Amino acid sequence: MSVSQATARIIAPPQLSRRLRSLLASAGAVLLSLVVGGLLIVIAGGDPVDAYRALLDGALGTPYGIGQMLVLAIPLIIIGLGLALAFRGRVYNIGAEGQLFMGALASGVVAILLPAGFGPLLIGAAIVAGVLVGAGWGAIVGVLRARWGVNEVITSLLLNFVAILIFTYIVRRPLRAPGSPDLQGRAIQPEAALPALPDLAVHIGLFLALALVPLAAYVMARTPFGFRVRMQGFNAEAAQTAGVRSGRIIIGLMLISGGLAGLAGSLQILGVAERLDPGISQGYGFTAIVVALLGRLNAIGVLLAALLIALLQSGGQAMSVIEGVPYAIVIAIPGVFVVFLLIADRLARGH
Amino acid sequence: MDWSEVFGPDALVVLLSTSVAFAMPTALAAVGETVAERAGVLNLGLEGMLLSGALASFLVAYYVGSVALGTLAGVAIGVGLGALMAFLSVTLKTEQIINGIAIVLVAQGITIFAFEKLFGGGDQPTVAGIPDIDVPLLHSIPGVGPVLFEQNALFYVSVAVALGVCLLLFRTRFGLSVSAVGESPAAAEAMAVSVARTRWLALLVCGGMAGLGGAVLVLGQLNVFEEDVSGGRGWIAIALVIFGRWNPLFVLGGAFLFGFTDALQIRVQAVSGGIASTVPTEIFGALPYAVTLIVMVAATVWAGRDAQPAALGVPFRKEVSA
Repeated sequence: MSVSQATARIIAPPQLSRRLRSLLASAGAVLLSLVVGGLLIVIAGGDPVDAYRALLDGALGTPYGIGQMLVLAIPLIIIGLGLALAFRGRVYNIGAEGQLFMGALASGVVAILLPAGFGPLLIGAAIVAGVLVGAGWGAIVGVLRARWGVNEVITSLLLNFVAILIFTYIVRRPLRAPGSPDLQGRAIQPEAALPALPDLAVHIGLFLALALVPLAAYVMARTPFGFRVRMQGFNAEAAQTAGVRSGRIIIGLMLISGGLAGLAGSLQILGVAERLDPGISQGYGFTAIVVALLGRLNAIGVLLAALLIALLQSGGQAMSVIEGVPYAIVIAIPGVFVVFLLIADRLARGH
Repeated sequence: MDWSEVFGPDALVVLLSTSVAFAMPTALAAVGETVAERAGVLNLGLEGMLLSGALASFLVAYYVGSVALGTLAGVAIGVGLGALMAFLSVTLKTEQIINGIAIVLVAQGITIFAFEKLFGGGDQPTVAGIPDIDVPLLHSIPGVGPVLFEQNALFYVSVAVALGVCLLLFRTRFGLSVSAVGESPAAAEAMAVSVARTRWLALLVCGGMAGLGGAVLVLGQLNVFEEDVSGGRGWIAIALVIFGRWNPLFVLGGAFLFGFTDALQIRVQAVSGGIASTVPTEIFGALPYAVTLIVMVAATVWAGRDAQPAALGVPFRKEVSA
């Protein structure tokens, strides 16, 4: 395909019918996955209708339930946006979990060690530290791919283990909470804790996550950088011919997706755990991959997919308590989503 | 802590014999991945195949009581996931990287579900370990004997399978077809070698090897199953294929390096007294991953990517002449 053809296909927005079909494919995949979830509920000895009702009730029935769902959605939205952008440029960062932990660590260290008296500035400093360190951890992967062609999927994944072990070490040794026998790090200073909305008990990081959605959409659709990213993802050779410097794009995408994962980690420390805690992520870095794919690598899609998965996960707890079916069902569903999505997508587009 | 308990003369024999045993699951998966990648398919679902093989073999061994049947179940589920990967990547031609990630996510979800459903809330189930077999004569060779020839039956089976697959790649028609469709699928097709069929077979072999790796891990080593028991070995195996320049013998060498670092970190944790110790055990825990990462990067930087199959990751579409 020539440069001009590739450019034409990117500039001209995809026809509505194609967009509609891909939306239908997503919806179909979600429905099929919920059917599979229903089968798992039956296998587990539950009643699927009752169980899903309990799930919805748990997630949306009370303000507190809604709040818990939103708290779960925050990291998924933030990381999902970064991954969607990276995947658009065919940079497959699957190291968001590690980037989240490195960002969380940096934020935690700042929020614990800086002297008191800075007020909200301390929050700002902690967040900036988290974003920078997350971005830096991601950049390692970007530089290796851009400079030497080292497969980013493998490097980013292996660095997850390294990051989590570094985090665990810091929590166990230098910054362990005094007198705590187990893996519990020191609490952050009270003034570094993010304020929460009344009733919902959601930290204000929610607004940051929501603000990032239009920003990401804008970057993707309206900036030269977003244009180059899409071009590279669409046809790397044509992009190269047109003067896109792929190395810079790769490193840029790793900085952004790593930085956003770091931001998510930072908010988990400042808004949720309020201490250095190895339990800050329930695999958000991996679930966000599903969010990005299910959301069709599109900012609004990511928001919807994140809310859907957060609903399943927060409601899943209520479901497992009330209906006695294993919580693991809601862990199993996202992976099934993606497989059905791949198939539905291919069928919708035809061969 | 006392380092002679890790590297002293007696301890060293133990360390090396656990190293080769610990290397085995990764080695099997890595050789399987070599087959898939030489055929041109980047199978990132390896971790999921290893994990599913581990669970299936554990369940069969637990309920039926047969290690042999358990091992077969592990291989079977691996082959099944290999077929799913082949259906998505070869038949539907969807993006291979995404297919692989999806398979890992599915496998993680389903194994957690199955395990929690069957054993949730109860005591951790275990299966009986299998006895070591001393190979007559060979096991009394000083040094080498206790390391290589006083292992359990699954170890010997693994060695035979891994070397068998190496032979398959280097000495058979199938091996030639695999290289042909990985390097130049159009030319292979012109020579009447079916790209789709060869890639399907390569992925089935790869899945079976990873499933066997999972079985060896839980039945031959750990004797328990737990969430995420594969612990990244599948990803490490993929890194080792790159490190080994797509040559299964070098890949095996890489697997032993991984096995050594893994055995070392476990030994250090045991000797140092675990979580209460002053030794930074996490640093040692990170060692297998960090070392794998470093050797993979080093191999890529120094040797370039010449050895990489030319068509790796590229779906093959037949040119249709109008």
